[in-house]
Amino acid sequence: MQLHRAFRFAAFAALIAAPAHAQKGNAVNIPFETMRLPNGLEIILAPDHTVPQVTVDVWYHVGSKNEMTGRTGFAHMFEHVMFTGSGHVPYGTHDRLTEGVGGTNNGSTNNDRTQYWENVPSNYLESALWMESDRMGFLLDSLDEKKFLAQRDIVKNERRQSVDNQPYGRAYELVDFGLYPETNPYSWPVVGYMADLDKATVDDVKSFFRLYYAPSNATIAIVGDFEPAQAKAFVRKYFGDLKAGAKITRPTVRPPVLSATKRLTFEDRVQVPRLYFSWVTVGDDNEDSDPLQILAQILAGPRTARLTKALVYDRQSAASVTAFNNDNESAGNFVIFVTPRPNNTLTSLEASTDSVLTRFRDDGPTAEEMQKAKAGLEFGFVSQLQSNLGKGEILNDGAVFHGDAGYYKKQYARLKAVTAADVKRVANKYLGANRVVVSIVPLNKPELASRAESSTKVTVAPDGGHYIMGNK
Amino acid sequence: MSPRTFSLRAPAAPLLVLALTLPVSASSAQKLDRNKEPAVSKSPTLHVPKWTKTKLANGADLIVVEKHDLPLVAFNLDFVGGAANYEPAGKLGLAQFTGQMLSEGTKTRTADQLSDAQQLLGTSINASVGQEGGTIRFTSLSDKFEPALALLTDMMLNSTFPDSALERIRGRTLVALTQQKDQPNSIAQSVFAKVTYGDAHPYGRVVNENTVKAITRADIVSFASSYFKPGRAVITVSGDIDPKSAKAIVERALAAWPQGGERPSWAYGPVPAPKTREIYLVDKPKAAQSVFAFGTPGPSRGTPDYYPIAVMNHILGGLFQSRLNHDIREVKGYSYGVRSGFAFGHGPGAFQAGGSIVSAKTDSALIGFQTHFKGVQGAMPFTDNEVKQGKESLIQSLPSRFASVNGTAAAISSIYTQDLPETFFQDYANNINAVTKDDLTRAAKQYIDWDHMNLIIVGDRATIEAPLKATGIAPIQPMDVEGKPVVVP
Repeated sequence: MQLHRAFRFAAFAALIAAPAHAQKGNAVNIPFETMRLPNGLEIILAPDHTVPQVTVDVWYHVGSKNEMTGRTGFAHMFEHVMFTGSGHVPYGTHDRLTEGVGGTNNGSTNNDRTQYWENVPSNYLESALWMESDRMGFLLDSLDEKKFLAQRDIVKNERRQSVDNQPYGRAYELVDFGLYPETNPYSWPVVGYMADLDKATVDDVKSFFRLYYAPSNATIAIVGDFEPAQAKAFVRKYFGDLKAGAKITRPTVRPPVLSATKRLTFEDRVQVPRLYFSWVTVGDDNEDSDPLQILAQILAGPRTARLTKALVYDRQSAASVTAFNNDNESAGNFVIFVTPRPNNTLTSLEASTDSVLTRFRDDGPTAEEMQKAKAGLEFGFVSQLQSNLGKGEILNDGAVFHGDAGYYKKQYARLKAVTAADVKRVANKYLGANRVVVSIVPLNKPELASRAESSTKVTVAPDGGHYIMGNK
Repeated sequence: MSPRTFSLRAPAAPLLVLALTLPVSASSAQKLDRNKEPAVSKSPTLHVPKWTKTKLANGADLIVVEKHDLPLVAFNLDFVGGAANYEPAGKLGLAQFTGQMLSEGTKTRTADQLSDAQQLLGTSINASVGQEGGTIRFTSLSDKFEPALALLTDMMLNSTFPDSALERIRGRTLVALTQQKDQPNSIAQSVFAKVTYGDAHPYGRVVNENTVKAITRADIVSFASSYFKPGRAVITVSGDIDPKSAKAIVERALAAWPQGGERPSWAYGPVPAPKTREIYLVDKPKAAQSVFAFGTPGPSRGTPDYYPIAVMNHILGGLFQSRLNHDIREVKGYSYGVRSGFAFGHGPGAFQAGGSIVSAKTDSALIGFQTHFKGVQGAMPFTDNEVKQGKESLIQSLPSRFASVNGTAAAISSIYTQDLPETFFQDYANNINAVTKDDLTRAAKQYIDWDHMNLIIVGDRATIEAPLKATGIAPIQPMDVEGKPVVVP
């Protein structure tokens, strides 16, 4: 899950890498070089003169997993504060020198990292680096409590708009709540619980900034229409004198252990119920994440994908079915969700989903299914290279999580090498009996849950703080 | 660096300017003054890609835009006119169903075979028919272009429209319609359309259970055979392909497509007479936020006021730092974001402003919108900075439309589907720069009709109705999710 500072569209970092043997030598290549300043800041430079614009994409290795129980949502709220001005860049300047000159900017936070970017006409590269360096080094010099409180309200509205006021909006939160113990940093939502958001203070902002917003915890990708020598000079000029940060102790996130299937029922303001399954898998740091990605493609999506064909087309018991592997830095989960057609219960949909999965675990994918999934990934990868930001995200992901901006090449080679046997193996290893099953049902209709007799009702705590198992 | 023949940027020249004019500070030892905003060199010159335009033997327009930086090709087959022009009022959803039915099998391929063939090519062919235009399109790696186009042609010319597929699509659509009634934004949009345009105008028609149930296979066969015609088609090929071979490939693929069809007249009936400003309140019990959809019918895309409207709206509610978003989000924190926009249809597309507002501030936010509507009409004069940024952001964001093959195809084809001058992009900066402050105020007065604005609010009536009433801004008419007035018992 990823949250953005602004409501307008921002590209999702679909960090897929894929086999490609396209006719052009550069099809899956992103020419880049790196440099590192003495303060630890890593810079990735990838010139591309297709359009006269340049993207500056800054990643800090901090996300919602660095928060504490009871204080959730802070990393994302902090991201908002980074747009309220800094020591030498007054509030308003940032938007004026980005969208005000024909560019765009945004930020995003997920469980593991926080991202800030500007895409500007190429003559504004220096301005963008000046502003990014100033909030990296001098955010606290201009911290304004009033602006902080406004951003806190905005984030609460972001939560209302994307979660509380959306039909099925709480489903992923409930999946994570069911999957992870309360102390696991992946158990809480990136946007945070409503009650926790109110607890954030200006002092929290200060200590969070001092700990995590140092050049030694950041990488910057510069992608687009620029000359590397010039960009390097700008980087030295604006970032060279920033101080390295202290060593960061990162939380260890252990994959959860589900010793039995956990069934949860949540009553929502919906008319059509929906069924969510989730299994514990692996994070981005485990090579099984590659065959899991291909598994998701084979199970749901196009009309001949296994579950889509069986449920939506052949039996016509479902209106839609979706599957994906959610791989965070150090743990992951596989999700399938199904929306029923009328006269089909969630219990019967669970059974038919299981029959498709059982057969797939026994047979594994066909050669053609492998070929189709890989062709789609290849196209998706090349397509993402059309965007400066898309390229910046691929490079930053490698640098932050794998210590190598060119990591996508290795990942691409691995994906290309995934076999049908690999996919069959991960389907058997991870999509087993123990899982979380969340039924979202209309208000006062808990009997519509899948296997309602063994499903536990979940409610929202009265203060909006978290979820509670059992009766109200 | 790979060779680039794409004409978006002039060879080397802007780079040279950068290198000569930007200060290189590495050699200078003086202390950095961080308060100093970096100097900026001249803006890059806009280079609009060049394209060729020819006609196929059957009369369809063919546009080819070269872009060789990546091995990708976008193919758009656009049809001018859509549901608003050709759909019978009792069968709303027919146009959309017909688009979906193109994926349900042809004389020689089953639906599954069509899908598998696309997946093996790493592409996906999407067919859809919207309000005023339809499109069948795909993007593929360039070496997959020809086989993908062969599939598309088969879908357009040889679809069999099986009954069983129609029933499945109908069933799924009915589920989606039910879900939309739980979605506050969907409710707001459908009530807005009904209140603003009424049942008689095509813009006021909203697909519902009854119209979806009335659609037959015969309707679809007849819609498809009269709609997908070269006489209203604009074909755009954009990407890693040269115009000569693109034309040969497209001619070959579409050789069996007989001529016929024409563009619609766009002669819609009149919009309803303006009504006195009113709040149309749809109850969403216990909703955390109130969804606002405020507006009136607006000018068509052909209006001579297009440029003043574009700049004025950018300042009012188009930009992140627009007056509406700055005040209601950034200063007051009532919302995650609010905005305004003009739909600019071939007919009287709506002006609409809105967003999701925390329930407790519904009244204050309404007052805020009122302030800013009146503000752009003269109460809060436009500043030089606002005008400068409004113009620059429009002009300098143009290159981003040409960053991808899809974006390029959409930008160039819009010239022909929207009847714009062929020099639209080249003239854009001059036209925007010619707008004066007086033009902005005049456009705001003319096109933001506060006296007759329809104020649709979807939220928790129990908590927001009294405060809304207390603002004295407008009488309140409770509505149901279907857009019908609720009779108070």
